[in-house]
Amino acid sequence: MTQEDLWPRVEALLGRVERPARYIDREWGAVHKPEAGYRAVFVYPDTYEVGQPNQAIAILYDRLNAVADVAAERAYVPWLDMAALMRENGVPLFSLESCKPVCESDLLGITLPHELSYTNVLEALDLTGIPFRSADRDVSHPLVVGGGPCVYNPEPVAPFFDAILIGEGEDAILEIVAVHREAKNAGVSRTEILTRLAEIPGVYVPSLYTETRDGSGAFKGIEPLGNAPAQITKRVVGDLESVAPPVRGVVPFVDVIHDRFSVEILRGCTRGCRFCQAGMVYRPVRERSADTVVREVMSGLACSGYDEASLTSLSTTDHSQIEEILRRLHRRLEGTGVSVSLPSLRVDAFGVEMAHLVSGGGKKSGLTFAPEAGTQRLRDVINKNVTEEDLLGSVERAFAAGWRRVKLYFMIGLPTETDADVQGIGELVTRTFAVARAATPPSARGSIRVAVSVSTFVPKTQTPFQWEAQIPLDEVRRRQAILRDSMPRKGIDLHWHDAQESFLEGVMARGGREIADVIESAWRGGAKFDAWTEQFRLQRWADAFECCGVDPSAIANRQRTEDEPLPWDHISAGVSRKYLLSERARALGTVTTPDCSFGSCTGCDVCGDLGVEVVLGGERRG
Amino acid sequence: MASGEYRLRVRYGKVGRLRWLSHLEVVRALERATRRAGLKYAVTQGFSPHIKIAFGPALPVGTAGENEYYDVWLTRYTGIDEVFKRLVDATAEDLAPTAVGYVPEREVSLAAGITVAVYHVEVEGRDSEVGKVQSALAGIVELGTLTVQHRDKQKVFDLTRSLPEEMRVKEAEGGCTVELTVRMGPEGSLRPELLVRAALSSASLDASVRSTTRVETYFESEGELHTRPL
Repeated sequence: MTQEDLWPRVEALLGRVERPARYIDREWGAVHKPEAGYRAVFVYPDTYEVGQPNQAIAILYDRLNAVADVAAERAYVPWLDMAALMRENGVPLFSLESCKPVCESDLLGITLPHELSYTNVLEALDLTGIPFRSADRDVSHPLVVGGGPCVYNPEPVAPFFDAILIGEGEDAILEIVAVHREAKNAGVSRTEILTRLAEIPGVYVPSLYTETRDGSGAFKGIEPLGNAPAQITKRVVGDLESVAPPVRGVVPFVDVIHDRFSVEILRGCTRGCRFCQAGMVYRPVRERSADTVVREVMSGLACSGYDEASLTSLSTTDHSQIEEILRRLHRRLEGTGVSVSLPSLRVDAFGVEMAHLVSGGGKKSGLTFAPEAGTQRLRDVINKNVTEEDLLGSVERAFAAGWRRVKLYFMIGLPTETDADVQGIGELVTRTFAVARAATPPSARGSIRVAVSVSTFVPKTQTPFQWEAQIPLDEVRRRQAILRDSMPRKGIDLHWHDAQESFLEGVMARGGREIADVIESAWRGGAKFDAWTEQFRLQRWADAFECCGVDPSAIANRQRTEDEPLPWDHISAGVSRKYLLSERARALGTVTTPDCSFGSCTGCDVCGDLGVEVVLGGERRG
Repeated sequence: MASGEYRLRVRYGKVGRLRWLSHLEVVRALERATRRAGLKYAVTQGFSPHIKIAFGPALPVGTAGENEYYDVWLTRYTGIDEVFKRLVDATAEDLAPTAVGYVPEREVSLAAGITVAVYHVEVEGRDSEVGKVQSALAGIVELGTLTVQHRDKQKVFDLTRSLPEEMRVKEAEGGCTVELTVRMGPEGSLRPELLVRAALSSASLDASVRSTTRVETYFESEGELHTRPL
C-alpha cells in the first residue's frame, strides 16, 4: 500500500474548478488521526454542500472517531469539473482528512439517501478504482458497506455492496468495525469475513442470498445460502438519551444546504400517514428530554459558532416539551443574533404558535404546511389527520400575525384519487388565498404569496401502499393539466416535481436485483447527479432499461397482489405485514387510524418485536 | 458605533489550504470563530440581527493573504491578550489572527481606507529567470494601460496609477518572484497575476504563475503609502 498523500496533486487542480473549498479539508471540528491502524471513509453520494449536513454521517463519524486507533474520514462525489480533471490526471477519489486514496482504506461506508443517488454510488466507486460488484472484489479492497433510508429495499443496489446495515447505526457501526478488524487481523478469507458480518444483527450480506424465479422468469423470493438469517430486522437504539448527538461536528467553509447546528430532538413519527416510508421505518417515537436538547443546543452553538440552531425530526412540533424547549432557548439566545429554526410544522394552531415563538415576533420568512391532498376523503385515505378547518385556521392566524408567505405541499396520483380530488387541490388553494387575503391589512395584500408544490406519489416499500400502482407518465401529465386549469393564478406560484424523476424513483424503490445492471448501464451511458434536475436525462435510463431487457413500467405502474412475493420481503423495518395490510384495508375503506403516541397502541408490532418502545418526555399536545 | 461598543481590529492571514476560500467563505468562517471565541460581540439593529463585523478588501479564491484585517464591535471591553488568545484558540490555523488591538470609533472603514497592497507573484517555467520576466514586465508597463476581460466586461487599468512603485523581480526556487505594489480604487483593483500573465504572454515566455500572495495591505494618507491599519 502506498498511502500516498494526494494533496499536491489535488491542489494543482483547484485553480480550474468551481468552489475549490469543497476539496480542501481543514474545517473546524474535522478529526485527524493519521496514526490510526484502521481507516473508515464515509461517502455521501452527492456534492460536498449536499452531503456535508447529513446527520447520519455526522453521528457515525463522531462515534467511530471516539474509538482508539480507528480513524473515520469523509469523502463526497466531486462535481463534474473536478471529476473530469481527476480522471484526466489520474487522481483517485481521496478522503478529505488524510487526502489519501479511498481505495486504500479498510472500510468504505456509503449512505443511500434516495433512489436517484444510485448512479452517484457508482461514480464514487469508479473514481476510487474499486470494482463495482462485491463479487469482483478481494481482500485488498476496502469492505464496502451501505446504509441509510434506502436500505428498506436494498435489492437494486445489492450487488454493489459487501454488506448493508438495515436501521440505525449508532451501535451497529462499532460492531461492524470490531468484527471486520478482528477478522482482517486474523487473516481470514473474504468469504469468512462476510459470513461473520452477517452474524451481526441488522447486517445484510447480499452475496449470502440468492434470488429464485419461476420458469417464466417471475420473481419468487430471496433465500439465504447457508446459515444467513432468513429475515434481517432493522437495528434500533432503544433510548436516544443514551447516545449523545454529535456536538463537535464539522463546521463547513462552503455554503452548504441546512447550514446550521442541528440537534435531532426526537426520532420516529407515529402520525401514521400511509404514504410515508419514514413514518413507518423510523418507529418507535423516542424523544430527547428538554434538558438534554437545551444543553446540546447551547454547547453545540458554542463549539461550532453557528448563528442558527435547528431542532430536527420528522415532526418537531410533536415533541411533548417543544414549547418549553423553545421558550428556554429563546431566553438564552436573546440579543446574540442567533436564531432557532423548526424544519417541520403541524398544520394547526399549535404549529403557528410555535412558529411565532421561534420568530420572536420579528423576521417571518414563510410557513410550510403539507395537507398532501385536496379533499377530506383523500386525506382520510392517506391518514393525513388534518382538516380543511385546521389549514385555513392556521393560515388565518399566520397572516394575521404578520406572515405573508405560505407554502403548501400536495401529491397527485395517490391511491383512489379521482379527478375531483385533483380539482380539490385548486379549490383548497383558492380558499387558502382568500383566507390569507382577508387576514392581511389591505395595504399589504400585494405581497401575499401562496407557493404550491406538487409531487407525484411514489409508492414506497414497508408502507401500506407498497402494493399500489404508480400512475404512468401520461396519466401524470393529464392530471397536471386538470390541476393547472383548476388552480388560481394571481399570487400563486405553482411548482411541479419532475414527473420523469418520480417515475425513475418509483422503479428504483420497488425493483429487484435486475435493476443493478440497469443502474450500471445508465452510469456507463453518462447518468450521474440524477437528482439535479438539469443533469437528469430520462433517455439515458430508457436506453439502459432496453439494453438490460427490463420493463420499468412493469415495476412502477403495476398493482401487486397481496400474496405475491416482494423483492424486499427479507428486510423487516419492524412494522408487521399484518399491520400494513390492515392499514391498506382501512385506507381503501376511508377509515383513519390515530397516532399511538397520543392514545392507545395501534398494533404496528414495532414495540414488542424490536424490544423497544415509545419514549416521551411528557404528555403530547394533540 | 453605539456607545458602550469597542471596535476591535484583528490582523489575520489567509494562507495554506485556506487560500482556496472565497471572500464570503472567509467572512463566514471568521464570524463563526468570533462566536466560538465567546466574545461579547455587538449585534446589528434591524430586521435580521447579526454580528457587527466589517472586513477589508476581498481576496480572490486561490490568492493568499498574510496581513489582512477585520473589525468586530464588542460590547464588553476585554484585554487584548485575552481577546487574542481566545481568537487563536477558536480559529482554523490557516486563518489565525496575528495581532489584535482596539481602534478609535471614528476611524475610517477598512474597506474604504485600505487602498494599497503589496503582492508577491511566483513565476515558474523554462523562461522564468529574473531577467526575462523583468523585461517582459517592462514591456507591459511601457504600454501604460492593461485591458482585462472579465466575463463580458472589459476593464482598462491605468498602470501609472495602479502601480505607484516600480515592480521588483527576485530569484526564487524554481523561477522568480515578482513583488509589486498595487493601488486599489473604486473603479476596481488590478489583479497582479493577470498583469504578470499578460507580460509573460506578450513576451511569449514559457512560464506561468504558480501562486499569488498579498503580503501587506496599507492605508494611504497624504502621500504616505505604507501605513499599517494596526
